[in-house]
Amino acid sequence: MPRRLWWSSFLFVLGVIGCTSPPTTTKQDRPVHFRIPSHFPPMVHPTDNEPTEARLEFGRRLFYHTALSQNETTSCASCHVQSAAFTDGRVTSPGLNGHAGVRNTPTLANLAWSPYLMSEGGVPSLELQALAPLHEPLEMGMNMMIAVDRLNQDAYLRTLNQRAYGRDSIDPFTITRALACFQRSLISGDSKFDQYKMGAAELTSKEAKGLALFSEVGCANCHREPFFTDYGFYNIGLYSVSTDPGLERKTHIKSDSGKFKTPTLRNIAVTGPYMHDGSMSSLEEVIAFYNAGGTGARLQDERIRALHLSAEDEEALIAFLETLTDWNFLQNQQFTPLSE
Amino acid sequence: MKSARYFIMACAALTLLLSACKNTATQEDPETEVAANGQFNLRMDAKWGNEDFVIEQVYLDTYGNRIRVDQFLSYVSQIFLVHENGTEVLLKDFYLANFENDVELPFEVPAGRYTGLKLGLGIPAAYNKHEDPAQYPSSHPLSVAGSQGMFWYWNTGYIFTKFEGKIDTTGTPDAALLDSFLFHIGDDPYYRELTFENLNVTVPANGAVDMQLRIFVDQILAPVAGSSLDLATNAVTHTSEQDVLATTFFDNYAAAIVVE
Repeated sequence: MPRRLWWSSFLFVLGVIGCTSPPTTTKQDRPVHFRIPSHFPPMVHPTDNEPTEARLEFGRRLFYHTALSQNETTSCASCHVQSAAFTDGRVTSPGLNGHAGVRNTPTLANLAWSPYLMSEGGVPSLELQALAPLHEPLEMGMNMMIAVDRLNQDAYLRTLNQRAYGRDSIDPFTITRALACFQRSLISGDSKFDQYKMGAAELTSKEAKGLALFSEVGCANCHREPFFTDYGFYNIGLYSVSTDPGLERKTHIKSDSGKFKTPTLRNIAVTGPYMHDGSMSSLEEVIAFYNAGGTGARLQDERIRALHLSAEDEEALIAFLETLTDWNFLQNQQFTPLSE
Repeated sequence: MKSARYFIMACAALTLLLSACKNTATQEDPETEVAANGQFNLRMDAKWGNEDFVIEQVYLDTYGNRIRVDQFLSYVSQIFLVHENGTEVLLKDFYLANFENDVELPFEVPAGRYTGLKLGLGIPAAYNKHEDPAQYPSSHPLSVAGSQGMFWYWNTGYIFTKFEGKIDTTGTPDAALLDSFLFHIGDDPYYRELTFENLNVTVPANGAVDMQLRIFVDQILAPVAGSSLDLATNAVTHTSEQDVLATTFFDNYAAAIVVE
């Protein structure tokens, strides 16, 4: 190539690339495609928070970071422990300075598909939800801007933040996005039941009987596959007068008192104690409660009625529920704390 | 001929290189006539009767209750000044007023005679319940920091107005104010658009003029037919659908704002 042509071509190319907008993620960051079980619906990501390697790592580090709590002793993982499917085995979880919480910690499995968050369903996205426990006085009791200042002291986190979201400083936007991104990766769909659905495992006769009963007696009406929840709100008749208003807290409608969102049953065998207030310690207690038809409390949903199950039936139901435990999810190394 | 072509290509490339990154701001045309501006100062003063309202001062309300307001914050949105020719000048999208202090908002507007003022109490629906405070820079009044606690994190949406304090319900003179009142008003149906017409404010070219927006706090708590704002009996609302107390409070609040 003649030298003059070479130079003019070089300058032309330089001119064209000179003003290309910086990419939203640097060349060091790469998109991540989650493995979605084939019997799950597609996952929809917010356009400003598609998963990438840096976003996932940033979110994972924040999830285990105590700078997000006022006294720097509590992280998200303090109440959401992986080995318990991101619950904590306690009746209710103590918050900041040992303040007693009022509700049992929910699992974080498959939240990517939840149409809304919180027991009252008042939060429409995981990004927004990240603000709730952080500011809640009974949980982390934090001011987000203090967390921002603390996290920006960490040069590595700032670098990660830059790679993930193209911003030089960590801010509420990047914190909430990263936490949401990490939580969307918490996919649980590899239990024995899932393998059975895929034709890769067989249920025992007791488990199969439990699965059949699960549909026959109406459990599946609200605990629907594939997530074993319909995301609806019901009063199952735990109390005649509920000390926790449940859905009424959001709607202020008296008849919504004591209604709570249907919890998922995935990993249910490892997420006790049960009910919104952790008032039942075992699956046996829960099944016995439903078998008795609740307590007949004033606002109890009419679909909660005596099931007339035998002891063998109750055992079969529990055997089926135990097939919903996803051991790979509980031990997945992609969810564990990262070293400094 | 060939060298001329190379020369033209090189010039074109160099021009592209030099021009590609120039600032997008354009130079002002010296021929363009710039309209003269003036300063319009919008003041928002909370009053208790004829006196300045003071946070944490004890007052006697119209029901005879001794009350003390500890917090009074309110979002004001979409503030427009209306020119006599009908042109509306946007002064501010959102502002969070904290009535612990008097508020003075200076704006540079085209000089001229203005006859109206428009504003919204609260946050318009398009910016309220499904908005994410984290998307705004910290200086923005709707941001995590700028909203100063005026956001329901467990049930998303902004608290339009927060009015909190203490009351003595014993009726004993000099008794401590031990009971609480709390009005957290929000949700889309409570957004109120206020229009003040027939005003006569002239913003002088290169000069300044003030407008007073007065909020009579004593009138917010005044008796209303069909509903009571006696804080001794109706003291708490976090707002719900068809919430009589929240509606009464917010209607009274809207009516207690006057332009002077």
